[in-house]
Amino acid sequence: MQKRLNIRISGLGGQGAVTSAHLLAMAANKDGKFAISNPFFGAEKRMAPAESYARIGSERIYDRGEIVYPEVIMVYHPQVITMGKSYTMPFYSGIKRDGLVIINCSEPLLSQDDVKTLEDLNVGVFYIDATKVALEVAGTELSSNMAMIGALAGITKVVTLQALDLAIQDRFGKKYVASGGTATLDEAIKKKFAKKEQLLAKNMATVTKAYEIGAIWAETHACLVAS
Amino acid sequence: MESTSVIGTANKKGQIFTEPRKLFFEAPRVPVFLTGSEVIKEAIRRASVDVMVAYPITPQSEAAALCGELFAEGYVGDYMRGESEFAVMSQCAGAAFGGARVFTTTAGPGTLRAFENFPMWAGARLPIQVIVTCRGINSPLSIQPDTLEISFLLDTGMMVWHAETAQDFFDWILMGYIVSEQPDVHLPLAVCCDGFFVTHTKDTINLTPADMTLPPYDPYRSPVPCMDMECPPVRMMRDPFVMKSNYISYATHASWQQEVRAACERSRKHTIPLLGGLIETENVDAEILIVASGTAVSQGREAIRLLNAEGLKVGLVKVKSLRPFPTEEIRQATKNAKWIIVPEFNVVGWLAREVRAIIDRNDRVIVGPHVAGGMTMPPEVIVEKIHQVIKAGKGELVHG
Amino acid sequence: MGKDKISINEEFYDIMPPEYRELVESGTYGKEGRGWKDMGSSKELIEEHSLCAGCPESMAFRYILASLPAPEDTVMVGSTGCTSLVFPHVAVHNIHSLFGNQNAIATGLKRALTVRFPNKVKDVVVLAGDGATVDIGLDMTLQSWFRGEKFTTICFDNELYANTGGQESGLMQKGFVAKMAPVGKKFDKVRLPEIARESGCQYVVNMTASQPGKVEKVIRNAVYIARELGPTYVQIYTPCILEIGKQSMEGLQEMRDSEKPTERFAYKEYITDEAKAYLADLDAKRKAKATAQLAAK
Repeated sequence: MQKRLNIRISGLGGQGAVTSAHLLAMAANKDGKFAISNPFFGAEKRMAPAESYARIGSERIYDRGEIVYPEVIMVYHPQVITMGKSYTMPFYSGIKRDGLVIINCSEPLLSQDDVKTLEDLNVGVFYIDATKVALEVAGTELSSNMAMIGALAGITKVVTLQALDLAIQDRFGKKYVASGGTATLDEAIKKKFAKKEQLLAKNMATVTKAYEIGAIWAETHACLVAS
Repeated sequence: MESTSVIGTANKKGQIFTEPRKLFFEAPRVPVFLTGSEVIKEAIRRASVDVMVAYPITPQSEAAALCGELFAEGYVGDYMRGESEFAVMSQCAGAAFGGARVFTTTAGPGTLRAFENFPMWAGARLPIQVIVTCRGINSPLSIQPDTLEISFLLDTGMMVWHAETAQDFFDWILMGYIVSEQPDVHLPLAVCCDGFFVTHTKDTINLTPADMTLPPYDPYRSPVPCMDMECPPVRMMRDPFVMKSNYISYATHASWQQEVRAACERSRKHTIPLLGGLIETENVDAEILIVASGTAVSQGREAIRLLNAEGLKVGLVKVKSLRPFPTEEIRQATKNAKWIIVPEFNVVGWLAREVRAIIDRNDRVIVGPHVAGGMTMPPEVIVEKIHQVIKAGKGELVHG
Repeated sequence: MGKDKISINEEFYDIMPPEYRELVESGTYGKEGRGWKDMGSSKELIEEHSLCAGCPESMAFRYILASLPAPEDTVMVGSTGCTSLVFPHVAVHNIHSLFGNQNAIATGLKRALTVRFPNKVKDVVVLAGDGATVDIGLDMTLQSWFRGEKFTTICFDNELYANTGGQESGLMQKGFVAKMAPVGKKFDKVRLPEIARESGCQYVVNMTASQPGKVEKVIRNAVYIARELGPTYVQIYTPCILEIGKQSMEGLQEMRDSEKPTERFAYKEYITDEAKAYLADLDAKRKAKATAQLAAK
């Protein structure tokens, strides 16, 4: 893997973009790598643009704040692209050469111009219907973020499945202090499952399923960030 | 005297009052993965705080609320929400006048609303600690990080430190009380950070054990009497200054204001061994130096990595303490530098102004790059600035 | 605090100011049943006042200091204004910090003293002018009452900003012509006693300082109730003779004129049932103790 992977997650408030970044960083931490995560700094609003960032690397990370030049961009909702619900326009602004874009959608969304721009930069674009995977495996769309991080891990191997499992247990299995909107969603997802163990297991199953889908795609789509 | 006698005994939560140097340098450290706000809570858990006053303002609300949990758990003597930052800082003052170890937090507009209190704290020699998680203060509304407010704090008479990371925060909050409460210092301390960049980022922090805590504050070591009717004198003055000749008033105020600033300078001897100096340096023999404080240091470190990869050597001066200002240290560290780049997260460049004021050949100082209003400063921007300096300068001086 | 804490070291006795020595020797710290009648027979806890000759505020100040039930464990909080010229002479610990923040200071102070001395009673008493209490500091005055903070707030109401030269204040009467009210004040005197009652004060009194016995009773009640139950508020008319064009000897008459039944400083008291019961209980205990002492003799 590269010395540093900068991951930018663009979604809508309530989709778990912030939780995803925390999980990725926690997992990387458990893999013995250096990692930090942070949300976009602003007011949190349901269904409004939400962005979060994870930096994972083999050396101590100092860089703080928004990731302006990411290696990876994950798009959690088609509206990020179709309705411009993104902090940067276009959503892939700043993406590095040989980077990777993962989009939660069953069909292509990009315009001809966007496709060309990304091709010129040798950026891989992977569509996964993460919401469908979440509904099929976990039975709730609230687990879409799990599918997204699973896909990322499957393609890039930036974190291991074992580490993700441990991170999920830490995040949902223990007392966790979350801010208002996140705390409400934590409660909502807990109600979806009869037992906490079930929540952990279903989330992990979603991650694993998407990991496999991502890994298969990566075999035929070489880009620099893929292992 | 009481504070030394409690060493080794337990408080009501079973935490052992531990000799500060032992707590800082010898106690085992455990790495944990936390946000900066959670780290503030963990520091306060170990700080034997008597009174904390809170008020919600982004981005410090989370830290202030988390400290409320510590009160609920019994780690903090009393905790309340004040009605505004002006009131909060006054409530803190009242508690400190009454002999309590006091903690509070604020940010941006809150800092400015509270402002009348800060010179009062310093003049009254109240060793209150305030965390300032800097945020924009201009109109239109910004809730984003921006360090402009630090510039206002510099001449209050308070000590002002600027943390780079959550690890700095954890260590400095605890060390800060020890420095602040020295009888020959006894001043308030603002521990600042760039809001969000530190408070909302999850990072690995090494914590001391939760069952070890700072010895309590002993208000009877204060250079001014504690207002608790337990110590003499019971009457402060024979006459108020303003009713005597104005010359007596002038003389009193002038000497006291100098004494407050002298106390701030005296804090050096306590701070240097704890913080490992007022500045930290790397490769200061390089021709190009980055001098920065707070998150700008972190971005500077990343820029240096990128420049190293190009084969360019760049040194770094991290300014930890802004008051007292490390004048001699910076003069020494920059004496061989050809260019001194001062990246800042504010529009005015107050650190560059401070550095320019104290070094010779100060046209070596390149003011910037700057970001303001909340944006981060990508390391690439600092790299670009340094490329410009080298290219335009070709060995000559360039002005930012 | 016991008086032993302020006893003077023999070695330094001769260099201590004589009035401080007097304070230590015959100040009424810890004296049971202290009151205004001690004035003249023992050392007062106020040395001088730096006010205008004949200022009614100085009378009120002396009566209040003589009436505090436990000055040895009382800390006072002032604000900027005429009162801040007096506080340096006052021989109980007192805090001046800023203008208008007195009730916030008192909040922090009371909480700190409660944390530090869990088994001891420490009274906190705020004393500030009407500008500080009602105008610039109103937010903090009210918020301390909303929170039910256990201290007493005393407002010296001289119906204007005296120390800055007689500007309009919120407690000024409607129609009064003053600096910054060049055509007369446009709105009514703020009804702070009523607001205090609605804001959670257990005991509220509106009065003048014309009768020391009355001031003593009110201050004792206010401090006792605040100690146990919650905030108390005392608003005392201390006219600014300078700004209303009176002579030095006319202050007392001005207060007497203003406390007539139809006037704005007619004695008004509000007390909660809880506070009333508490005072009755205190009274009964005091009587029982006196009876027992008599019987022992």
